[in-house]
Amino acid sequence: MVMRPLISVVDDDESVRESLPDLLREFGFAAEAFSSAEEFLASDCLGRTRCLVLDVTMPGMSGPDLQRELTRRRQEIPIVFITAHRDEGVRPRLLERGAVECLFKPFSDTALLEALNAALRVSRPTILPGA
Amino acid sequence: MQNEIRLIVDALPGLVWSALPDGQIDFLNQRWCEYTGLSLEEACGVGWQAAIRPEDLPTLLERWRAILASGESGEMEARLRRFDGEYRWFLFRANPLRDEAGRVVKWCGTNTDIDDRKRAEAQRDRTIEELQAQQSMLSESEQRFRAIFDEAGAGITLVDLRQPGTPIQNNRALRTMLGLGQEELGFFETYDELTAEDDREDDAAAFRELCEGKRDGLRQEKHFILRDGSSVWANVIFTLLRDSAGLPRFIIAIHEDITERKRAVERLQDKQELLELAQKSARAMAFDWHIRREVNVWSPEQEALYGLPPGGFDGTFQSWKKLVYAPDWPVLLKAIKHAHETGEVAVEFRVVWPDGSLHWLATNGQMFFDGQGKPFRMVGFTSDVTPRKLAEEDRRRSEAFLAEAQHLSSTGSFSWRVETDKITWSAQAYHIFELDPTLPVTPELMRTRVHPEDIPLFDEVLDRARAGGGDFEFEHRLLMPDRSIKYLHVLAHGTRGQDGEPEYIGAVQDVTERRLSEEALGNLRSELARVSRVATLGALTASIAHEVNQPLSGIVTNAGTCLRMLAADPPNVDGARETARRTIRDGHRAADVITRLRALFGKKGATSEPVDLNEATREVIALSVSELRRNRVIPRLELADDLPPVTGDRVQLQQVILNLLLNALDAMRVVEDSPTPLVIRTARDADDRVRLSVQDAGVGFDPQAADRLFEAFYTTKNDGMGIGLSVSRSIIESHHGRLWATLNDGPGATFSFSIPHASEAVAERAGGDS
Repeated sequence: MVMRPLISVVDDDESVRESLPDLLREFGFAAEAFSSAEEFLASDCLGRTRCLVLDVTMPGMSGPDLQRELTRRRQEIPIVFITAHRDEGVRPRLLERGAVECLFKPFSDTALLEALNAALRVSRPTILPGA
Repeated sequence: MQNEIRLIVDALPGLVWSALPDGQIDFLNQRWCEYTGLSLEEACGVGWQAAIRPEDLPTLLERWRAILASGESGEMEARLRRFDGEYRWFLFRANPLRDEAGRVVKWCGTNTDIDDRKRAEAQRDRTIEELQAQQSMLSESEQRFRAIFDEAGAGITLVDLRQPGTPIQNNRALRTMLGLGQEELGFFETYDELTAEDDREDDAAAFRELCEGKRDGLRQEKHFILRDGSSVWANVIFTLLRDSAGLPRFIIAIHEDITERKRAVERLQDKQELLELAQKSARAMAFDWHIRREVNVWSPEQEALYGLPPGGFDGTFQSWKKLVYAPDWPVLLKAIKHAHETGEVAVEFRVVWPDGSLHWLATNGQMFFDGQGKPFRMVGFTSDVTPRKLAEEDRRRSEAFLAEAQHLSSTGSFSWRVETDKITWSAQAYHIFELDPTLPVTPELMRTRVHPEDIPLFDEVLDRARAGGGDFEFEHRLLMPDRSIKYLHVLAHGTRGQDGEPEYIGAVQDVTERRLSEEALGNLRSELARVSRVATLGALTASIAHEVNQPLSGIVTNAGTCLRMLAADPPNVDGARETARRTIRDGHRAADVITRLRALFGKKGATSEPVDLNEATREVIALSVSELRRNRVIPRLELADDLPPVTGDRVQLQQVILNLLLNALDAMRVVEDSPTPLVIRTARDADDRVRLSVQDAGVGFDPQAADRLFEAFYTTKNDGMGIGLSVSRSIIESHHGRLWATLNDGPGATFSFSIPHASEAVAERAGGDS
C-alpha cells in the first residue's frame, strides 16, 4: 500500500472538521482533524504530518501561536492558514512568518489543492539536523 | 734773636701762627702742631686747612681773604681738629705787621679755644627759639579762644570773681543782643540794670548763689529791657568754674536769643485761643503737638476719635504710632514731612481702635516754626471720615467689579441718549468694537464696524428704538478690519435720564466664541453620529461576515467534495449523500445567523414588548463570538433562572449589552493574562427591577471621573469616541432604568443597568404570544 501524505486539519468549527478531511481524502491525501491546537500537539500525528491546514482564530492557542510553538520545537511543518475573517492585513503577516498560503473561507477546492501542492513542494525533512 | 723769639713763641701755651702778606702760612708754633698732630712742614702753606672742619672751611677762607684784603686785624671762627680727631671751636685772630712805610710785611695770628662758649651760645639760642615757639603757640591759642569768644553766635560773658566789682568780659554777640558798646557792659551792674525789673531781684539772688559757690550751674530764661525800650529774651546757661582749691573763680554765661521764638509762641497763644474758640463752636477735635518737647496734647474729643477714653493718650510719638493702622503710617510720615516744608497739614489715614476696628480720620492743621525756621509745634483738627471713605471704597470696588465682570463676560455696556444720539460706552464696549477709547461714539461710527449684511437689521432696530419702541434685543455681526467676524448679542432697556429725555441703557456681549463653538459642535455631532454608525456597522459587519463565512465555508467544501465523489469511478454515492446532507445543514446554520441579524436590526423605531434579558444576552454573545475569540475572552454567563421579562425595545437593549460587552473587551485588551474572566450576570433586584451587570477584569476607571463616564465624548480610549456609554444611558433611562459603574474589589470595573420588569399581566401576555 502506498503511503499517502498526511494532512492535518486544526479548526474549532465543526463543519470544517467534518467536510475538509473528506475533500482531502478525495484529493488523495490521508487526513486527520483536530478541534484545537492543544489537541494536535498532544496527538501522535505531529511527526507524520506533511502539511497543516490551520484555522487562524481559535479559543485557547491560536493558529499563529501553534506556528510559533512548532518553530520553537523545530517541527517545521508547512502551514496553510484558513480564516473566516476577511482581513487583508492578516495574510501578508502570516506569509511573512513562513506560512505557505492563507485562504479566506469560503475557499474553492482548487485553491486548496494548489496551496497543498505548493506546501508539499517546499516540504523539508520534518526534523532538522542536530535537533 | 730770631731763634730766640722762635723759642719763646714755641714755648707759649697758646696756638700761634704767622703768615706771609699773601696769606700763605709760614709758621705755626709747636703748641699748634702738637694740638692738631700735624708737623710744621705739613701745616705750612695751605696744609693747615686739613685741620679745619670741612664745612667751616669755605667761610673761614672767605673771611681770611677779606682780612688780607683789608690789611686790618680781624677775627674768624672755625672748628679745628685736635690730634685725637675731636673738633672744637676756635677763634682765629690775625694782626698785620707793617714796615715803616706802613705796608703789611707779615700777619701774626692766634687761635683761642671758644668751644665752651660756643656750646653755651647754641644752648641759649635753642632755648630762646623754644620759648619763642611756645609764646607764639600760646598767643595763637589765645587768639583762637578770643576769636571764638568774639565771633560766637551766642552771647558769652566771662566774670572773673577775683576782680573787684565783678567786671564782665563779653563778646560781640552779647553786646549786639543787648544793644550796647563794650565799655557800657564792663560791669555786672549794667547787666543787672538791663534785666527786666520784674525778674531782677530773683535773677540777682540766683546769680549770687552761683558766685558764692552754692551752686555750679544755672539756667535762666532772662528777659532784658534794652535802653531803647525793646524786649529781648534769652535762654542763659551760667556755669561756675572753680580754682584748684575748689573756690569760685570764673562764671561763664552763654546767652541764646529766643526772642523770635518767644514772639511766635505769643502769636500762637493768640491763635490758640482762636482755635479753641473755633473748636468749641465746630466741635472739631484738636491736637497740639509740641514737637521739640515731644508732647502731643489731645483734647478728649481727639482721644475719642482714636477709641480712647479721656486722658487715654500719653502724648508720646510712639504711642501715637501704635494707634495708627500700620500700612498707613508711611502716609502720615509723608504728610509730616510735607508739613515741615510747607506748614500745611492735610492727611487721611486709618487708626485701629482698641476693639480692633478700623476708622478713617482726616487731619487738617498748621505747623509752626521758630525764629530759625525749625518746626516746633503742630496744631490741628481731626474728624472721623469713615462713612465717606467706606462709600468711596464701595464705589471704587463696584466699579472695579463691573469692569472685571465686563471683561470676563466679554460684555460692554452703553447708554444711548436718543434725542442727541449721544452714546456712552464702557471700556469693554470699545474693546469689543476695537475702537480707540478716545473717539466719541455715534451710530455712524458703529455702522463702520457692522457687517454689511446686517446693516439693514441694525438700522431697523435703531429706527424702531428711536420711535419709542421700548426695550430691544437682537444679534448682529461685526466685520473687523482684519476681515474677521464677531457675533454680538445686544440687549437694551428703554428708560428716561435725569432730565426726562429718553435713554437706552444696555449691554453688548461678544458671543463669537459661543456661536462658533455651537456651529462646530453641531458639525461635530453630525459627523460623530455618522462615524459611529459607520464604526458600529463596520464592527458588526466583520462579526456577521465571520458567522456567515463559517457555514458558507462548510457548504462550499461539502459541495466540492460531493461533486468529486459523484465524478469518481465508481461514484461514491453514499459519501456524496452524506456531504449533500451536511451542505443542507450548513445552509440552515447560515440562515440562522441571518435570522438573528434580522432580530437585531430588522425593526425600526423603539418598540415596547416583553424582553427576556437572558435570551437577549445570549443572542448578543452569539453574534459577538468571533469578536470574543479574537480577544481570547470567554465570557462566563451567570443568568438568573427566574428572571421576569422587562418591557422595552429589544434591539435597543441589546445595543446597550453589546456596548457594555465591547467596552469590557477594550478595557481587558490592555491587561495581559486577566486572572478573572468576563462575567455577564442577570439578577432579580429588589423593588421589581431586573439587573444586568457586565464585570470585566480590565483597567477600571478613575473614581474621580466616575460621573463623567456617561458624558458624551468622554473617553479614556485612544480610538474611542466616548458616545457609547452616553447613548447607552439614554436608552436605559428611556426604559425608566438607570446605568451605573462601580470599581471591582479586584481589578476592573462592573457596569450595570437595572430596569423595572414588566407587570404580571404583560408577562403572561408575552408568554401567551411566544
